[in-house]
Amino acid sequence: MALANKETSAAGALEDAGAAPQPSRSRPPIVSLILCALTVVGIALALWMAFFYAPTDAIEGQPQRIFYVHVPMAWLGMLSFVVMALAGVLYLWRRTERWDWVARAAAETGMVCISLALITGSLWGRTTWGTWWTWDARLTTTLILWFVYVGYLMLRSYMGRTPASARAGAVMSIICVIDVPIIYESVNWWRTLHPTAEVGTPGALPFSVVLTLLVSLTAFTLLYAVMMIQAYQLQRTQTLAQRLRADLE
Amino acid sequence: MPQGFPYLAAAYLVVWLGLLLYLGFLALRMRAVRTELEAVTELVREQQRGERE
Amino acid sequence: MSLLTQTWTILWKDIRCELRSKQMWAGMGLFALLVLVIFNFAFDLRVDNQAAVAPGALWVAFVFASFLGLGRTIAAEREHGSFDRLLLCPVDRKAIYLAKLLGNVLFIGVVEIVALPVFAMLFNVPFSAAGLIPIVILGTLGIASVGTLFSAMAATTRARELLLPILVFPLIVPIVIAAVRATGSLLIVTTNEPPWLGLIAAFDAIFLSLSTVLFEHVIEE
Repeated sequence: MALANKETSAAGALEDAGAAPQPSRSRPPIVSLILCALTVVGIALALWMAFFYAPTDAIEGQPQRIFYVHVPMAWLGMLSFVVMALAGVLYLWRRTERWDWVARAAAETGMVCISLALITGSLWGRTTWGTWWTWDARLTTTLILWFVYVGYLMLRSYMGRTPASARAGAVMSIICVIDVPIIYESVNWWRTLHPTAEVGTPGALPFSVVLTLLVSLTAFTLLYAVMMIQAYQLQRTQTLAQRLRADLE
Repeated sequence: MPQGFPYLAAAYLVVWLGLLLYLGFLALRMRAVRTELEAVTELVREQQRGERE
Repeated sequence: MSLLTQTWTILWKDIRCELRSKQMWAGMGLFALLVLVIFNFAFDLRVDNQAAVAPGALWVAFVFASFLGLGRTIAAEREHGSFDRLLLCPVDRKAIYLAKLLGNVLFIGVVEIVALPVFAMLFNVPFSAAGLIPIVILGTLGIASVGTLFSAMAATTRARELLLPILVFPLIVPIVIAAVRATGSLLIVTTNEPPWLGLIAAFDAIFLSLSTVLFEHVIEE
């Protein structure tokens, strides 16, 4: 998965080295195509399993199936956040641009995933608890993570595509990735004093549920890889275009 | 709750719409930046030609 | 020059600068008091309610006042170019961070000292000063540790007054939770409280060291 995120085609590698960028690709990106095919298959399988293989929950009924999209979205939101921070560390260490491109791609993709996690979590909470929102540790930390993503994107947007911007982003994501577990724990402590409804499936999960969840997680992670590659390529091309334009002037 | 079905549908709809919209948004920006890149490359080539003459 | 000496030199310069311009102090102090007054109207403060709401009101006032003060040294210096001159000197970047941090803590601290007695009066809340001091010091230290680092980042952007709270608020949630609960437990004694002060102390230790190390990456040119 790590390889797929950073991989570019041969023409792309040339561009990275600084040669004149070629607008059209001569060779189709094989790895990307295979990845897309696998993703489509995985998603189809996951959807089928979520609706036809997984059992209907005795307590919650049909809406419990939201679980199979909510958990992957939350997982991807956190995964993207870690990817962002790792890319930040690598950028500060190596000072090669491509890590910053990874970070920016992860920020965008992660933002989308965490937003979807919040929405599905809220919808699920509405069906099981009747409220649109509950201040349990998981939802609250997800909301904070959402704010961190927004803040990061705003910071990068205001500072532009400069090395200073990349460094600031890296520092921010490092601080945040260490803070988020602390935030989670502190909200947990706080919650023990105000027990509130918790979004989640309580108790031990039957095997079919676990299997469906694992398939969902894998399929969505593949989709994440596809999105990351696209977002990364976009960041790379945007930087190259900006640099070329700057060279003109 | 059998009445929870609208929420289930809404959740799946939102997720898939959201993901597809994002991918579309990426594709749109990619197209825009590729056009810009071609235009700028052209300008660079013209500039280089002009310098040679 | 050792790290401590460098830090003190820069800090002392900032203090003298600050003593000359008195606007920020008055502004921040008034702001904190106003927040407390507004809380009085926003929440129904009958006698039995006061102790429950008071800690929250106090810390909201402190947090908002902090944001007013956090951006001041670094942003102003970057605008006037004196920050670049500071960077030209062979001074350890950690010393710059520590000096700015301590300056911010002192600055916010003065406002807090002024606000506390007024808070006690307005909310008619008796508090044990001895118990409150460590909470306030450690809490302010935590807010300032993250806030100083981020104010250096936001300083070069146009919307820095808007961006800084957006960046820092989410990160100081543990401090806000812990400080409010710790202050609250001074007023209403409860059992089985988690170690809030310990949480703030741990937060401070982690983010102070992290920010000190990361600061130079933010300000290098």
